[in-house]
Amino acid sequence: MSDDQSAYSWTEAEKDLMEGIDTTVPHSARIWNYWLGGKDNYPVDRAAGDQFLKAYPGMAAEARANRQFLARAIKYLVTEAGVGQFLDIGTGLPTADNTHEIAQRLDPACRIVYVDNDPLVLAHARALLTSTPEGVTDYVDADLHDPDKILDGAAKILDFSAPIALILSGIMGHIADDEGPHAIVSRLMDRLPAGSYLMLQDGTTVSQANADALEDYNESGAIPYNLRTPEEIARYFDGLDVVEPGVVPIQTWRPDPGAEPAGPLVDVNTFGGIGRKN
Amino acid sequence: MDTGHPAHGPGDEMGSPQAGPTVVRMLLGDRLRQLREASGMTRADAGWAIRGSHSKISRMETGRSSFKRRDVADLLTLYGMRDETERHGLFMLVERANTPGWLQEYGDVLSGPAAIRLELEQCASVIRCYEPQFVPDLLQTTDYARALMGRHCPGAQPAEIERRLGLLTKRQEALCRPEACRLWAVVDEAALRRQPGSAATLRRQLGKLIEITELPHIKIQVMPFTTGVAAGGAITFLRFAEPGVPDVVYLDQFTGALYLDKPADVQHYGQVMDRLCTRAELPAVTPAFLDRLSKEI
Repeated sequence: MSDDQSAYSWTEAEKDLMEGIDTTVPHSARIWNYWLGGKDNYPVDRAAGDQFLKAYPGMAAEARANRQFLARAIKYLVTEAGVGQFLDIGTGLPTADNTHEIAQRLDPACRIVYVDNDPLVLAHARALLTSTPEGVTDYVDADLHDPDKILDGAAKILDFSAPIALILSGIMGHIADDEGPHAIVSRLMDRLPAGSYLMLQDGTTVSQANADALEDYNESGAIPYNLRTPEEIARYFDGLDVVEPGVVPIQTWRPDPGAEPAGPLVDVNTFGGIGRKN
Repeated sequence: MDTGHPAHGPGDEMGSPQAGPTVVRMLLGDRLRQLREASGMTRADAGWAIRGSHSKISRMETGRSSFKRRDVADLLTLYGMRDETERHGLFMLVERANTPGWLQEYGDVLSGPAAIRLELEQCASVIRCYEPQFVPDLLQTTDYARALMGRHCPGAQPAEIERRLGLLTKRQEALCRPEACRLWAVVDEAALRRQPGSAATLRRQLGKLIEITELPHIKIQVMPFTTGVAAGGAITFLRFAEPGVPDVVYLDQFTGALYLDKPADVQHYGQVMDRLCTRAELPAVTPAFLDRLSKEI
């Protein structure tokens, strides 16, 4: 993609403007935007995304499967579980069918809090992810490493006496093993009321090609991402009633009848599920 | 990914294109060219497949001929484009390319790059703009716009000004339809303090902006003087819903305008827009900011 590297150098005035935005290091939200066919990504992200796909071609189908699982999970939570409030951590750049759009299409009164700590993601989300008049869409600027800040921010918008679905979609890998990823999820679920749900999906170590691709990615200067085993993913749901069919490869989680799969099943390396807090 | 329209590369000014959905044809033609090149087909191969010649394909790809839905469908199939969402998006463009828009009624006051900009605006899914000098035109009150036009076109007849105001009102109405595109504006504090007309005109304008902040599909971020951040002149950055159709940057100049769609240009301006929106105040504080400015007039 050498042809769309910026052909211009920045003027002094522009350098001042651009201070603090790093366009030389790939950025996970922008890479996902690229994989999902979005237009909010820079050359460095496309290069990193292409390099990843070269080492692990399954990632394109995986990215689509991730969004499809999110859509099926939200549909289950609104229509079958009757949840009307969502706490979605790791918003990402706006794409087609964002959490609040899926939820509010099914029930316009749904209340959604998006959480991210990236200024670019937050700016795009605040401008473009807008609520139905009946519902609420709001944003909390916080880091997953600080669950109490997330919960305190969300408590100003959501009703913590009614069930809330916590959405952790492709985000837990940002927490290193020694930072206690399982403790963070427990902390978040602890403060949600009984009847709340956890929806979580994340990449696993099942595919060696994916693990290899990620190793290169983690050396690119981007914020590193950590894969976990399917058993470790399942442990996020400890203490919860896991909804059928359990914590499984996401394409096999209640697939829509007749829907075309996002890719061959063998490529799907992401595991996920839904659990209910009693 | 080079879109390479010879007629409007960076630095080229648009001539006087015919009124009509020229731009839609260009966008569609450009996408067809990308897909053909990606599939490794020559223009002659493609022409043969739709019972035409290589020059027919050339005319289609440069937006110089009309499009038949059947031809586009056959070409997409030939190029291996099976994604239903994208096919549907491109068929919608075919329909739009064949529908004369209401803009054509304003041919008397609309020509050249300004016409292109408004056509693009009608097709956009998101309009991002940066305005360092004046309130963005789509958000102006009629009084404010009239005062500004009086200053910018001193020789204009009152009838022409009214006609231009009518066009602006039409564009503003189009932005209020339920299926309207989103408008995301970063407006410099200077633009909110400058008085093209009377103090009362500006006060009413700021009042209108406060009302507009209630609309979910329009977001206004103020760039206060205290940030010290500015980026030269006004920028309009247009996004289209169709996958594969690139963003377009529009820049007004004293003598004409620039219309940029080469990846390197769009990239550069996209980064500028991203930086501006991350440095400006949050949309949620805009009403209070405007209210304070209004009291200071």
